[in-house]
Amino acid sequence: MFGMEFYVDPSRCIGCQSCLKACEECDTHRGVSMINFDFVDRPESIATAAYVCWHCDDPTCAQVCPADAIKKYEDGIVGSSLKPRCIGCSNCVLACPFGIPKLVPEYEQMMKCDMCYDRTSAGKRPMCATVCPSQALAYVTPETIAATRREKPVNTFWFGNQKITTKVYMMAPADAGAIAIDVADYTWEGEHEVVSQAF
Amino acid sequence: MNTDPPQNRGLTAIDGAMVLIVVLLIVQIWLLSATLESYLAGHREAAMPGAIISGILFAACLALYRFVDRIDSEVRKG
Amino acid sequence: MKWFRKPSSAPLWQDEFPVFTAGERYVSRRQFSKFLTLTSFGMLVGNLWILARSVFYRPPSYPRVPVAAADELAVGGVKLFTYPTAQDPCILVRTGSDSYVAYSQKCTHLSCAVYYAKEQNRLECPCHQGFFSIADGSVLQGPPQRALPRVALDLAGGQLVAAGMEGGGA
Repeated sequence: MFGMEFYVDPSRCIGCQSCLKACEECDTHRGVSMINFDFVDRPESIATAAYVCWHCDDPTCAQVCPADAIKKYEDGIVGSSLKPRCIGCSNCVLACPFGIPKLVPEYEQMMKCDMCYDRTSAGKRPMCATVCPSQALAYVTPETIAATRREKPVNTFWFGNQKITTKVYMMAPADAGAIAIDVADYTWEGEHEVVSQAF
Repeated sequence: MNTDPPQNRGLTAIDGAMVLIVVLLIVQIWLLSATLESYLAGHREAAMPGAIISGILFAACLALYRFVDRIDSEVRKG
Repeated sequence: MKWFRKPSSAPLWQDEFPVFTAGERYVSRRQFSKFLTLTSFGMLVGNLWILARSVFYRPPSYPRVPVAAADELAVGGVKLFTYPTAQDPCILVRTGSDSYVAYSQKCTHLSCAVYYAKEQNRLECPCHQGFFSIADGSVLQGPPQRALPRVALDLAGGQLVAAGMEGGGA
């Protein structure tokens, strides 16, 4: 939309949680942040990673929703659950390979990032990308990314034998080229690590 | 040059087919009422041509519907 | 209804409830087109029904029913009766000292009861201003398309007898 795409680079994340606070300010879901914020290995390091919804090309959450509450719009954004339809069954929470949707018990509603659709559909940047000081979350044109980053954007993920292509790009090492990332490599090391989440 | 996103390209064809179906339907409504009136007035010879033409109109509507269905599944695959 | 649907690899529920909003526009258009085609089929059935009725038509036999005495009405007078069955209202009008006409009272438009308008010397339907000629029941103006069915009258021995219906052969 408007030629800009969303790029996530977890290695740039400094853990300031500005994205969380900025996301929370949106009046449509005030107080509930849609950023998935991970402390990667909290006992061992201060590394953090912030993620937004990956807005998959064939969204698993939408496919498994029994109430037809999740829709993918024409510009590729996968919306959060439609308020009149969501029944709070958590099917999408369980199904998403990236673990993005969250069930908010107070509203019995699933809530997830919708890339600030009210802003991006008008050409503005999402709140998180606007406030991120290190631009770990960036919403720019592909030309800007190519000109200013060493990493390469990748939007193909393999989960075992399942291939998922997304609208949001992950920045991958430059020498790796345009390859698919095995997300399991990024999420944990060792069997007994627990990944804690900020909210 | 067609600049519509891929999903919207079939919509123009489908809209055209739907308008055609509506026009045929209006003709068929008129034909039914005219046949009925002439039958009730005792002119029973109008019933056969009326039924045949109504059949032709229905066949045209069915063909247009299958066209709509074909465009729909083509766009869905693509 | 499997034959009515183009063969598709996706199950029907997936076609009817698409995840992509772009697909929803197709669903509503497809459903509307399907509805229109079924309406067209319904009208074809109507035409076929008329065809069947006309093919299997047998002219009915009408009873002879006395209606009124010859001098019961004044000139311009009106009598209501039922013929051939109790559900078929009819209207008898004495148009002259020797002439009588009788018609079905049901207007051929939407079956309102017609009445004799003496001043204009015609049969009028109050519902939608449909006027019929008193001479032969043909339509003078208004929405009716067909003439009023006429009751055949016999004058036998000072009695007016209804002997049949003309122009209502259905």
